[in-house]
Amino acid sequence: MNLSESKDFVVDSSNLKEVRIFSRNVFEKINLPQEQKDELVLAIAEAAQNIVKHAYKGVEETTDTMQIKISLKDEDLEIGFFDKGKPVVPENIQHRKLDDIKPGGLGTFFIKQIMDVAVFKKDQKGWVNHLILTKKI
Amino acid sequence: MTYKVTEEGNISTVFLNGEIDMDVADKAKEVILPLVEAGKEVHLNLKDVSYMDSSGISVLIESHQKAQEKNTKVIVKEISKSVLKVIMMAKLEQILNLG
Repeated sequence: MNLSESKDFVVDSSNLKEVRIFSRNVFEKINLPQEQKDELVLAIAEAAQNIVKHAYKGVEETTDTMQIKISLKDEDLEIGFFDKGKPVVPENIQHRKLDDIKPGGLGTFFIKQIMDVAVFKKDQKGWVNHLILTKKI
Repeated sequence: MTYKVTEEGNISTVFLNGEIDMDVADKAKEVILPLVEAGKEVHLNLKDVSYMDSSGISVLIESHQKAQEKNTKVIVKEISKSVLKVIMMAKLEQILNLG
């Protein structure tokens, strides 16, 4: 099955629910176990949350949008995240150690647990950051 | 997210309902942490929580750690399947008090 859908969201934590609704609607069209769909929605929501929390850290209110694009080509699922926040330094992204029990730092860990690959690309047009998550499904 | 709190002796039970994400995590903390600060044993009933992300997990960790500081405890109860999966993904099932 091939599919490609994208949607823009104003960068705000109140829109994370809309991100989940969009993702769930797209995955409704794909024949996958519900458990796997839930995991994929979590990964997308965590990546979107990272944009709000980190790329727009210190920004009280913005009209900037982020774009999320979900594409499926046969068994290859690719999820793209585009934003115009602070440039991400991929080398600085790391989740906390799991045995260091403290609030925070789990979102990136969840993404890595759920997806096969997470990479930042520099080929974006008009955007600052472009994260691509991929998974063979 | 909505919530309801019931009291019985020194036990406060917080029934959370809906989805717990970054947008409502502070609201959840504002409900739970004052009860812990007051030395209550807090039971968090999650049977009606349909979704929880890393921000919700942070609320559970912070509540648990605050309870340890205050020599009381937070017990997470009736965890929905989807939330339990996230707790296990974070490898917290041995850390949090799951009742």
